[in-house]
Amino acid sequence: MLIQVTVNTVVYEREVKENRTLLRFLREDLGLTGTKEGCGAGECGACTVFLNGKTVNSCMVLAVEADGGIVETIEGEAKKGVLSALQAAFEAHGAVQCGFCTAGMIMSARQLIHNNPRPTREEIQEGLEGNFCRCTGYEQIIEAILDVTGQLQEKEELEYV
Amino acid sequence: MYETLDRSVLKSVGKSEIRPDARVKLTGEATYVSDMVLPGMLYAQVKKSPHARAKILSIDTSKAEALPGVRAVLTGSELDYRLGLYIVDKYILAKGEVRHYGEAVAAVAAESLQIARKAVDLIEVEYEVLPPVLSHMDARKEGAPLVHPDLGSYQYVKEVFTPIPNTNIANWTKLRKGDVEQGFAESEYIVEREYDNPSVQHVPMETHVAIVSWGSGDKVTIYTSAQSPFTVRNLFCNTFSLPLSNVRVVIPHVGGGFGGKAGIHIEPLTACLSKKAGGRPVKFQASREEEFSLLPCRSALTYHIKTGVSKEGKILAQKMEMYWDAGAYADYAVNVTRASGYSASGPYEIPNAWVDAYTLYTNKPYGTAYRGFGHVEFHWGIERHMDLVAKTLGMDPVAFRKLNALREGSLTLTGEKITKHTGDVVACLDAVAASIGYGKLSKEERQRQKDTGWKIGKGVAILQKAPAMPSNTATACVVKMNSDGSVCVNVGLTDIGQGSSAALAQIVAERLGFSYDKVFVKIDKDTDSDPYDWQTVASKGLLMSGNACILACEDLLRKAYLVSSHVLKACVDDLAHDGEGVYVKHDCENRIAWSRIAIGYAYPDGQAIGGPLIGVGSYIAQGLSNLDKETGQGKPALDWTFGAHGIICEVNPKTGEYLIRKIASAFDVGKVINPQLLRGQIVGGMLQGLGTAMCEGYIFDMDGHLLNPSFTDNKIPTSKDIPFEIETIAVENSQIDGPYGARGVAEHPMISVAPALGNALSQAVGVDLVHMPIRSEDVWRAMGDKTPIDNWITKSPIGSCRSDLVHTREVASKHGID
Amino acid sequence: MIAEFSYRGPTTESALLELLSANAHQAKLLAGGTDLLVGIRGGVYHPDLLIDLKKIPAYWNLVLQQDLALSIGPAVTINDILGSAEVRKYHPLLCACAKDLASYQIRNRATVVGNIVNASPCSDMAPALLCLDATITIASVRGSREVAIGDFFTGVKKTVLERDEIVTALHIPPSSASAKGVYRKLKRIQGHDLGIVGVAAAIVNGRIRIAVSSAAPTPVATKPLDRSLPMEAILKEVDSIISPISDVRCSKEYRRFMVLEYTKYLLGEVSSC
Repeated sequence: MLIQVTVNTVVYEREVKENRTLLRFLREDLGLTGTKEGCGAGECGACTVFLNGKTVNSCMVLAVEADGGIVETIEGEAKKGVLSALQAAFEAHGAVQCGFCTAGMIMSARQLIHNNPRPTREEIQEGLEGNFCRCTGYEQIIEAILDVTGQLQEKEELEYV
Repeated sequence: MYETLDRSVLKSVGKSEIRPDARVKLTGEATYVSDMVLPGMLYAQVKKSPHARAKILSIDTSKAEALPGVRAVLTGSELDYRLGLYIVDKYILAKGEVRHYGEAVAAVAAESLQIARKAVDLIEVEYEVLPPVLSHMDARKEGAPLVHPDLGSYQYVKEVFTPIPNTNIANWTKLRKGDVEQGFAESEYIVEREYDNPSVQHVPMETHVAIVSWGSGDKVTIYTSAQSPFTVRNLFCNTFSLPLSNVRVVIPHVGGGFGGKAGIHIEPLTACLSKKAGGRPVKFQASREEEFSLLPCRSALTYHIKTGVSKEGKILAQKMEMYWDAGAYADYAVNVTRASGYSASGPYEIPNAWVDAYTLYTNKPYGTAYRGFGHVEFHWGIERHMDLVAKTLGMDPVAFRKLNALREGSLTLTGEKITKHTGDVVACLDAVAASIGYGKLSKEERQRQKDTGWKIGKGVAILQKAPAMPSNTATACVVKMNSDGSVCVNVGLTDIGQGSSAALAQIVAERLGFSYDKVFVKIDKDTDSDPYDWQTVASKGLLMSGNACILACEDLLRKAYLVSSHVLKACVDDLAHDGEGVYVKHDCENRIAWSRIAIGYAYPDGQAIGGPLIGVGSYIAQGLSNLDKETGQGKPALDWTFGAHGIICEVNPKTGEYLIRKIASAFDVGKVINPQLLRGQIVGGMLQGLGTAMCEGYIFDMDGHLLNPSFTDNKIPTSKDIPFEIETIAVENSQIDGPYGARGVAEHPMISVAPALGNALSQAVGVDLVHMPIRSEDVWRAMGDKTPIDNWITKSPIGSCRSDLVHTREVASKHGID
Repeated sequence: MIAEFSYRGPTTESALLELLSANAHQAKLLAGGTDLLVGIRGGVYHPDLLIDLKKIPAYWNLVLQQDLALSIGPAVTINDILGSAEVRKYHPLLCACAKDLASYQIRNRATVVGNIVNASPCSDMAPALLCLDATITIASVRGSREVAIGDFFTGVKKTVLERDEIVTALHIPPSSASAKGVYRKLKRIQGHDLGIVGVAAAIVNGRIRIAVSSAAPTPVATKPLDRSLPMEAILKEVDSIISPISDVRCSKEYRRFMVLEYTKYLLGEVSSC
């Protein structure tokens, strides 16, 4: 089936098999490998992208369902090589370790902030619940989001004895 | 090295420098093997055994081979290669029999993933299903089916391991220190109990994946998501009898490892498919379900501990029996047994000790290295046991620990002496106990308890670990100066997310006196161009590679000074340097810029001296020795890192639901290289430890099928599962032979989280849990004195298949009275 | 996806019904896909054709009628429910159950109708719909019919739907408007999980309804109970409708215990709100 999808403001027209997931379409047909596959079953959130303004697990969306739609992925987050405020906050707070969950995490963080410009710590945890991270323990990710939304009172630090 | 330098004089070490790879990971530019596509690449899929133990009667691959787009099909009968890090016991594809659910019996490489999958479905395997041995405690018994009847004929590392032929014992590690029977005879109390934990999976976010091309002339290129490029190369060459220079291993960014990618796993099979497909690159990526069963996990453990204490509470003797469930293949499990064997008591002084640690084969997915290398598992037992002993004595658990903890002058289990510079576990314990207000409830806490009805409990646990590694472990570093005066650093240590590329850059920047942004540590690994490093495991990377980096800097400086002495017409001893260049100490205007000597120096008349400035540093573990096979005595430890956790939990006394209000974690790291990175490691490891404590664990049915091979029923902690408050604490007793005094701490944050929780729950509602994970149902059952659920191997649907299961093996007896 | 299937996205209901009728045995309806695609990947379903219902505008309707009845079309997502001020105000129990369903990303796709058509015993939305006495409009080429939610589920993942039928709307009757209700779900972690048990307690038209998921082959509910009934009697009613099993997630004893505990707790909560 021929589909037309706008990804990060670029319009793509491609012939796809009807059983192709949006995730594989983005990664393999369009070469946008920033979005990752962590489980293929809609559990881990590594594949989170925006579809028509809403975050979805792209491994559980068919490419044909995105026909005529607008997709935003991690590759569209930085503009002209400049990190977004959210990306910069992640970098500054040590919120990236192996990086495999990072793309999906940024997408979910952006959705969260869009819905709620000043989320509480609990609301951040709630908003990121569908994005697994095995490396960071989430704490520095939460701090990055509190910071970028102007809510980080005191930066938590390592204590020395 | 340079361990006496105070943080106030250090320019780069001790700062929260930004890691250099964060940006590309944030933008999606970072390439992982998962993302790679090579020209002509084929896709592999494997046929997996649905049975835990079966004879393979026949495999018919004809339909698969006939499917258009299929380029190679392999079964075990064509591959006569055996693999094994320590005991060579595994074929690349099952040959003649399958030994665990999910084991690969055939593989296909095809033009697309879809075709490969279809082809796998067309392969017909006929099995004769055999009764599996599932519980390691049953595998020990006389007459149990043998997982490896030919164990006696396998090659293995004789200096270190002791397999017992004609049994399911892949290894028996012994330790005999002093006289335990005498020690028990002198004890006032003897406390004995058994502790369990199930297998769990590493769950790296990126599953195992490799792309291998077996080119002409037997030149093999391996792209793999792995932790140890040289181990992959060396084991690969060993298996296929190839010269080392034939094989090139390349590792780009890695999406997590946690030990699961420490060795060699899917590369040999993928390579064989490529060879059969005429050398075309073949990519195999495990699905998440395959990650749980085809790829290895962490061994389960049953730990039986018997402790004798004096009236004053001093431990006089301890007998420790460890039964490790290695699953179907020995892989790293035998070494986990050994490393845990010599550390088995935790950070306590045990004058008379007896350890028997067994690695047992069972028909289940096999165990490999996992963060902590056995220490997460056995500290569950030890630290729950120490609380029990304290309770028996009527002594406060913190006071009991302090009385018996290792300190300056103590001897470890293997007879090593602890010095002032080994590290201070008591300082860590004191720090966490203070942080959680151990031993009392604050006014706020009392009020909250009253308002909610949930009981508050506080528990602590301490820990130790030394790197489990060969006594001759070595590594190297190359520091190359660029013509603009910046440096590029090559090490074999792999950054799998832990941030080694930042920490090592800071160490190089410090030693050279350069700014951090002038130092670039190459992130991807290539065995053709990077210097050897043993493995990225064991929390040895910072210490060993850090030292190698310092030595490489000093080599570079020596070479730079030699050229500079000619250029500046000064003697080498009168030279110094800074970020700009080399200068004469007593005449600092007389200087030469780095950029002018970085790739050789040209005199005004054109004559040239020197050449590209490249510093090389090699570092090998010093003063270590193998353990005596009978007594377990020796010097196995590069360094000891001690730590402690304190947990405040709140428990619903009716339902067993609980939450973790606060965790405080402290480690004696010697010297903090990067506070932010360290904090990230501590929190990440801590949460992984909570996962193992609260919700993770493999569940099998009585036929050995894995019942939870996906995230649906194999849960890991999410952002909502973190404690409300997290405190991370660093103690700094310098490691003299560590870079700037630092020692490793990569694994340690995960160790002892579980028993800290178990101890806190015990304090809150009086439950004495001896198995993991601790679900709310487990707390509820314990509160009501109901039969616990040993949920790893289920009857349909609950219960344990272990025939001699005795849950309450607690025997606390006053000596002389039965 | 490894499994092969074709896809059609009809833009009118009549086209959809025709397609469904012609392919009754090989087709599955695609709404949010969060159950269907997982099931296809896991080899549970093997459809040859997926019929996407999301291109029919009327199927997205989430309409609060003048009499405060609520109509929910089959494309309405869980987050649509949570984002509707009207639903929050007049049918808050729907929101109470919706907010605990999976994760945010899943809630952007998963549909209310899809959740009950999937008919998992662990359904999060079914307890709300049972308490609120929802009715279900079902259509096919043969016409349409109404089924009460209490008659909809017939077994584990089984409903009264014929292979050529589609649920075209869920209706909450005006009599259930402004019902007070709360929902609590036992999970293995604080993060997103299937319900080990799920209990909804509601006061609808002055009477108590308790509905339970994950404790019987289907989601179940008590009949309307008098508020004056003593707690033991209420618990006895709840106990009589559940038949929990032991599985890899939980034992039947703990399930039963927690259903009754949650019932007690939630009744206290709902009485005070």
